[in-house]
Amino acid sequence: MTKFKSPASAICAGAAMLALAGAAQAADLGATDAPIKLAINEWTGQHITTHIAGDLLTKMGYKVEYVTAGNYPQHTALADGDLSATLEVWTNNVGDIYPKMKEEGKIVDIGPLGLATREGWVYPKHMEELCPGLPDWEALKSCKDAMVTPETFPQGRILSYPADWGTRSADIIKALGIDYKAVPAGSEGALVAELKAADARKTPLVMMMWAPHWVFADVDVGWVELPAYEPACDTDPSWGPNPDATGDCGVEAPETVKVAWSGFEEKWPAAWAFLEAFSVDTSEQELMMKAIDQDGGKVEDVTAAWVADHEAVWKPWVDAATQ
Amino acid sequence: MSRFARRFVVSCGAAWPWLLVFAVGAALVLARAAYPQVVTFPDGWLLPLEGPINVAMDWIVENLRGVTRAISGGLGWAFWLAQEMLVHTPWLVTLAAISLISWQGGGLRLTLLIGAILLYILVSGYWTEAMNTLALVLVALPLSVLLGFAAGYLGYRSETARGIIMPTLDLMQTVPAFAYLIPILLLFGFGPVVGLIASVVFAVPPMVRNTILGFQRIPPAIIESACMSGCSRRQQFLWAELPTALPQMLIGVNQTTMAALSMVIIAAIIGGFEDIGWEVLSAMRKAQFGQGLLSGIVIVVLAVMLDRLTAAYAARQLPTTSHAGWPWRRFAVILVAAICGAWLLAWLVPFFADWPEALVFFPANAINAATTDFVMAFGEVMSRIKNAILYFLLLPVKLGFERAVVPFTWGVTFTPLAKTIYWLLAAVACAVAFGLGRWRAGVAAVIVAGFLFLGATGLPWALVVLAVGLLAWQVGGGRLLALAVFSLGFLLLNGIWPPAMLSIYLCFVAVVICILLGGVIGIWAASSDVVSQVIRPINDMLQTLPQFVFLIPALMLFQVGDFTALLAVVAYAIVPMIRYTEHGLRSVPRPLIEAGVSSGCSPWQMFWQIRLPLAQAQILIGINQTILYALGMLVIAALVGTTDLGQAIYIALGKANAGAGLVAGLGMALIAMTADRILQAVIRSGR
Repeated sequence: MTKFKSPASAICAGAAMLALAGAAQAADLGATDAPIKLAINEWTGQHITTHIAGDLLTKMGYKVEYVTAGNYPQHTALADGDLSATLEVWTNNVGDIYPKMKEEGKIVDIGPLGLATREGWVYPKHMEELCPGLPDWEALKSCKDAMVTPETFPQGRILSYPADWGTRSADIIKALGIDYKAVPAGSEGALVAELKAADARKTPLVMMMWAPHWVFADVDVGWVELPAYEPACDTDPSWGPNPDATGDCGVEAPETVKVAWSGFEEKWPAAWAFLEAFSVDTSEQELMMKAIDQDGGKVEDVTAAWVADHEAVWKPWVDAATQ
Repeated sequence: MSRFARRFVVSCGAAWPWLLVFAVGAALVLARAAYPQVVTFPDGWLLPLEGPINVAMDWIVENLRGVTRAISGGLGWAFWLAQEMLVHTPWLVTLAAISLISWQGGGLRLTLLIGAILLYILVSGYWTEAMNTLALVLVALPLSVLLGFAAGYLGYRSETARGIIMPTLDLMQTVPAFAYLIPILLLFGFGPVVGLIASVVFAVPPMVRNTILGFQRIPPAIIESACMSGCSRRQQFLWAELPTALPQMLIGVNQTTMAALSMVIIAAIIGGFEDIGWEVLSAMRKAQFGQGLLSGIVIVVLAVMLDRLTAAYAARQLPTTSHAGWPWRRFAVILVAAICGAWLLAWLVPFFADWPEALVFFPANAINAATTDFVMAFGEVMSRIKNAILYFLLLPVKLGFERAVVPFTWGVTFTPLAKTIYWLLAAVACAVAFGLGRWRAGVAAVIVAGFLFLGATGLPWALVVLAVGLLAWQVGGGRLLALAVFSLGFLLLNGIWPPAMLSIYLCFVAVVICILLGGVIGIWAASSDVVSQVIRPINDMLQTLPQFVFLIPALMLFQVGDFTALLAVVAYAIVPMIRYTEHGLRSVPRPLIEAGVSSGCSPWQMFWQIRLPLAQAQILIGINQTILYALGMLVIAALVGTTDLGQAIYIALGKANAGAGLVAGLGMALIAMTADRILQAVIRSGR
């Protein structure tokens, strides 16, 4: 599926899809006795996405089972059909197993989930006093001394993703030629804990992060403004502030995709058609994350309430699949 | 010729191989500026095993998949059965059954303790998750005990089998489960069965070791009398050997239980069932200390429950037992009656079937708020402490004085003059020790000086191979030399030398701290019953609470980095040091102490000349375990951003590269085994 660049094109594409669905034969429900097993990963946004889809699949007449699965091992499970689908795969932190298995045809992409994502360096708001000139990235040059730590001396410190997610921060630092060192965080928990602690203690911190993420409901952050990503940045050294390096820009917004077992479409054709149409709106997901993580709501209740209130949103997805 | 000079010459004669190594070392250090390959192993010399392992692994997966999938089907069925039994029964039934089993095993005190534990789990709201975890352990336990017994008996009967079994056990205990996660996922499929298998792999070794020990310790007189009374081989085994070896084997069962439980977190990483480890992991990922602590405590109390239960049933087998319990037949009747009664009650009153949510006590948010307050109040002080330890301990060991002593850290520059004085002092210390006839102390002084000057990451690799090889040869002969060279060669040829040196640096500092601090605490606990009683539950908790839980407040106070990793390693690895030191000092025979008192020893003399030498053997086991535990923690420490072998395993996992993961895991195991064997040999040669 294509990525929608503007609301207008999204509507056009949606309308076209509806017309297509109407014209084509309505998809068969398939094996409604066999439960569709949906993966539950470790973060709240994914729980919301999955439970909304699960609720709607149940409404369509399917049996749905939720199975907890690690972000990494779930791909083995999908390849074997032990899991039927996982609905919020972030291509930026899934490692090589996802592209590898996709290439071998063991798992298949259902299509993009449609979350508007962002990835880059963030800082807690008090940093604007410690490092005047932020959010412009050039400010990092002049306030390096505030960012020096014992482990990185004589360079400044930028907290990076866990080492197994790749080396984005280190690459950007190198390409921009700033005097910083990327320190791998080791885990998502470490990133969150550092952000919360820096915010509470008003200590300096710049780190790699992605949005939507529930922690931003807790901590007010700013995003370092790097030269916006363009494909030319990766290929043409003269592009961007450093004339001698490629990659001297921000990162491309990560994609979120829905992934399934290779036999899914054949076994549950209507469910497949529904999942192809299914998408999640970023701001709605953020609101639900807040209701769960901040206000102590249960995932099932919050998503059920959303489904009850937003029939206009999901009706077309279900109709496209069943009528 | 003076006595000093004479001894000096004799020492030089004894220490000449070391002097040669020092000369080579000095040459290498002087040459490193011109030839960087002295410190960095040349890429062209690498012979990585990663590729061949991947090829072999693909072949194994392709050909054995049918068999392994059948095994995992069978295990999955057994797990499903245990799960049905524990998860889908009303809590009152489980409570009644477990309480009766405790009463039968250990009487009223045990029943009260276990009742309290089950109530805590109910009140915490994690009943279902805890029962899922318990189901996993209940399947892993009998399997580990049976496999362990079979392997142990085989090892007892056959010398050849023992020669294969013993090193395999070391590997099973030291290669982290993450290192072979990819192959076992491919072989056994997704789900709790993979966690089950990881548990069994880790839990079998203590059973094997204790079984072998139990059979080996059978007094020959017992076997002789069995022969004389005309026992067949079978009768001799069943009536003479087995009962005599049983008490030691039961200790094995107890340790196996704890080991199986400590692996539940691996099962959680894979997922597939709603277990308590998943809750701990999710809390870690969200950096929620409160939720992590509350769910982690459920694992601790489960461990305490299984530990006390198995220990109680083990104690019943001993002649000294005081609690008899009911006759088994009557116990069975009472148990069935209680289960039926509880079920009926749960069917009539819903309260007894599902614990009402209104009665759940879950103060996670209060704990989180308190943590943040603590971080804000003490963050400044804590970061000063952290910086001091970094500047004066961690950085010198990692980078050496030559790179760690700079104005930013120490406030001074390590000038060429200062370096000359440094080396002169080392040489003088060595010469004085030689002159006093203690050449080993002199050699050790130069090694320490060189190590601290260059740092773990700056040592020329050839020098490390030479020095470790020489030490191994001197204390343990050709076999130990072969092991040491093989291990270091493995690290070098596979290109994992730099992360391995980082692992060694972190573990070395952690082990030194554990030995000093843990030793002092152990001595204190041995001399005071109050301290001992306070320390014991803390030790239990440090050992069974998943380390993920502690990482969160540590991260908030100390940020990502080596110091936080060091704290995590020390918190876990200090426990055996405390335990074995206390146990060793306390088990000094009373008559010896009385003899010391009557011959007028001061408390000081009593400690240094009687208690400590007699406790030495136990303390050494403690040091050995501390080393193994410290290396085992590296995988967890990688979650706070280390860049050592632990991290290499995660990177391999992220790249779905089974070979790289196994190579890093084997590297860790080889470091652990080499360090352990050399240490043991040093101590044996010193005696």
